[in-house]
Amino acid sequence: MDASLGPSPLSRARFLRSFTHSLRLLLRDSSLLIAFGVAVAFVGIAVLYPLVATLSRAFSAEGAAVLANVLARPVFHRIILNTLALGLTVATAGTLVGFLFAWVQVRVAAPQWIKRFIHTAALVPVVSPPFAVAVAAIVLFGRNGLLTYQLFGLRTDIYGLPGLTLVMTLSFFTVAYLTLRGLLYGLDPSLDEAAANLGAGRWHQFRTVTLPMLLPGIASAFLLLFVEAIADLGNPLVLGGNYTVLATRLYLAIIGEYDLTAGAVLSVLLLVPSLALYLLQWRLATSASVVSITGKPSGRGRLITDKRATIPLVGGALLIAALVFLIYGTILVGAFVVSLGVNNALTLRNFEFVLVGYGAKAIIDTTLLSLLATPVAALLGMVIAFLVVRGKFHARNALDFGTMLGIAVPGTIFGIGYLLAFNTPTEVLGITVLPKLTGGAAVFGGALAIVMVYIIRSTPAGLRSGVAALQQIDPSIEEAAVSLGGSRPTTFRRIVLPLIRPAFFSSLIYAFARSMTTVSAILFLTTPQTRIMTQQILNETDAGRFGNAFAYVVILIAIVLVAIGLLSIFVGTRTGAEREAA
Amino acid sequence: MYRKTPFLFSAVTLVILLAACAVPSATQPPAAQPPAEQPTTPPQEAAPTQAPQAELPPAQAPEKSSTLTVLCTPQEDWCQAMTRAFEAETGIKTSYVRLSSGEALARLRAGKDNPEFSVWWGGPADTYVAAKAEGLLEPYISPNAAAIPDSQKDPEGYWTGVYVGALGFCSNRDVLAKLGVEKPDSWDDLLDERLKGQVAMAHPASSGTAYTAVWTQVVRLGSVDAAFDYLKKLHNNILQYTKSGAAPGQMAARGEIAVAIIFSHDCVKFADEGAPMLEVSFPKEGTGYEIGGVALIKGAPEPEAAKMWIDWVLTAKAQEIGATVKSYQLPTNPEAKVSERSVKLSEVKLVDYDFIEAGKSRKAITQRFEDEITVAPK
Repeated sequence: MDASLGPSPLSRARFLRSFTHSLRLLLRDSSLLIAFGVAVAFVGIAVLYPLVATLSRAFSAEGAAVLANVLARPVFHRIILNTLALGLTVATAGTLVGFLFAWVQVRVAAPQWIKRFIHTAALVPVVSPPFAVAVAAIVLFGRNGLLTYQLFGLRTDIYGLPGLTLVMTLSFFTVAYLTLRGLLYGLDPSLDEAAANLGAGRWHQFRTVTLPMLLPGIASAFLLLFVEAIADLGNPLVLGGNYTVLATRLYLAIIGEYDLTAGAVLSVLLLVPSLALYLLQWRLATSASVVSITGKPSGRGRLITDKRATIPLVGGALLIAALVFLIYGTILVGAFVVSLGVNNALTLRNFEFVLVGYGAKAIIDTTLLSLLATPVAALLGMVIAFLVVRGKFHARNALDFGTMLGIAVPGTIFGIGYLLAFNTPTEVLGITVLPKLTGGAAVFGGALAIVMVYIIRSTPAGLRSGVAALQQIDPSIEEAAVSLGGSRPTTFRRIVLPLIRPAFFSSLIYAFARSMTTVSAILFLTTPQTRIMTQQILNETDAGRFGNAFAYVVILIAIVLVAIGLLSIFVGTRTGAEREAA
Repeated sequence: MYRKTPFLFSAVTLVILLAACAVPSATQPPAAQPPAEQPTTPPQEAAPTQAPQAELPPAQAPEKSSTLTVLCTPQEDWCQAMTRAFEAETGIKTSYVRLSSGEALARLRAGKDNPEFSVWWGGPADTYVAAKAEGLLEPYISPNAAAIPDSQKDPEGYWTGVYVGALGFCSNRDVLAKLGVEKPDSWDDLLDERLKGQVAMAHPASSGTAYTAVWTQVVRLGSVDAAFDYLKKLHNNILQYTKSGAAPGQMAARGEIAVAIIFSHDCVKFADEGAPMLEVSFPKEGTGYEIGGVALIKGAPEPEAAKMWIDWVLTAKAQEIGATVKSYQLPTNPEAKVSERSVKLSEVKLVDYDFIEAGKSRKAITQRFEDEITVAPK
């Protein structure tokens, strides 16, 4: 690489060739630099700038007055307490359910179909808008619920904390399940075996050996769920009743009062616990890996076969899994009847409403914008992962953190941040770098802002899976490529990307599903020109037209599933090596 | 493989470029349009920042009369039926956004300097009064407004009434029978202990319907304090304050509650649409009513089309569209046919509702409602 530097007595032609060669090298190497620049610029504009705009509004003189007012009004004390209580109950219940599912999956002897059944049940919520469960829950367990009242004659009150805990646990426990399942698979069973050899009973083993090793993982799942629960907007809007939380109050401040300052102040109140817990979780998650220093698991441990343990464990998991399928079944059936539980006549009226009216436009807009965001988010995730894992500069940790803010910060706050930051053209040193992105007369009818939000919300997952994949690849493979004369971008394209293809594929899927189901971050960003399905679903739910909402949800889930199918055909899950062989 | 990865990068670039062209064209309403007006539009100079926008549809250009964006507050299907009929009649590409009246006001405030809507149609007059006071509306006296009674329009032409509706109780007969409670015909009937958790209304911060209900108490009981005393008692029986005004009617239709406080025409609509157990009744002390308005928005991007819309919605023909989608509000144009399903105002006692005063007090009352009512223990 250095050969072309420094003048040497070459002929004109050779000099020219050498010069263009070095220029090309520089350009090719600088493409990595450009990638870094693009990543930093994107994170700076799309993630940090809106947050800074929110913070500066909240800490302005006007914001201080609102904050004083908020802290003085008892209604807000109640709201803050409600928010924390909701986070606590959902995180507890969700971690328990996730743990139960993971434990049955990894440690309990059960027929394969049961394991597949509960695994599928745990993954279904990923492809549906989070509050779809809440709507179905009203039909099933509400005042006049199909199950609670019409079958068992119970007048249950589902609006409020108990109902919210139920639906949010069922919507979010996937996170806990996947975290703990991975951890359980990674645990070295020889420790359990050693304990058993020393005469410890199953329960004693669990309490003194397994559980302590899992604690960091459990804590990390708990904190993730807590953050997700206090950030959620859709469920409390639909099912909150008079149980107001910060997210719903914030929504009212913007939608009902259009008070951006109050919105910014409430955002900060919500941001502080979210970020603090997220950082704590991050520390825990990184320290948790200490456990696996013992090395790769040496074979699978003995599975639990004792009926006294397996029957309640498998039974409990099956019951919850059945509940998940019951809820999604309700959505499917509800889409095809007039009003489920009240008038069960079959009809296509719901689909007609959705497809004939503005619903068709919402479906097209949402799918199109998600399709745009998906490759960008996945690729950005991979590039940032590469920079973070292999980069040798200090800024890499900041880049990692900045990207992760996209998911650590509650979506509603980005909604407000975007309104504050991009409602006027963005100028740097008097030069317009971005036109007006939100509100009336925004470029592309506000679509650009929505795509940006989709990207920042899904890049973090791609980044994490990219980092995980890259850490498993020995850097010597890349070093070999470089010492054979490959530049870094060439190495990235021809060596790294093919090796992390599965991670790339999974982040494509995640990005699409996430974009299609995003609610809280885009509610303030839709315009007359751009309609988003999740918002239409929320509107239909709020107006009480559940049949239409169900029809939307069915169509949305169908689109996500079809996209996943198509992606696996076109991108494939095979690694580069397998492709070369084919 | 070697060729494929650069392809990936160029594919992404391509996708982004395509986005620039694809998104605006996707933002057009899906309905097929007579393309005839397109060529008459002069080349627009809007949005010069982006190169690929040469093919922008006229939707974003400062056009005179080829498009119209309506801020629509009544039920979704009425909004659809109206915009379709207007489009068919005039050839003006008409799109709408349905927002409840509180949200609508908030959105207008947000877009004050650069409005995204040209005309606002439907929703109670008190929000129009508030909007007028904040300078969000432009006066326009339609030639057709002469037919509308003076009590149903703003004397300065800032808004004109398009329909009238009365607030009522929407009861689920089956649930009432199970509870052994008679159909309510007084505000005090709603305080019955057996109705605990069986009543719902919307939140006045987001819903004009709910605000009408709250202001009705102020008028009927003579003072804001007395109204809040009543609302505090009522709070014991309220299951939920919903965001949208008509949503409690759907809760009653699903049998979740016994009585919803909503506009009577919404109740009749739900009954006709598959919930025959719903019944309307009116409080004997007097009830509030709304005048649905229409107004030109200040700085409207499509003022000509907006004025055509206002002229049109005041005609008898346009006011008869409501009944075809089971929206039984009373027309304000005396020549329009009144559906049999509409409420007969002569049979209902109305309170003396002062829209100006109601509109002015809105902010203070909604904040007091939040501070005193929503947090009160039950």
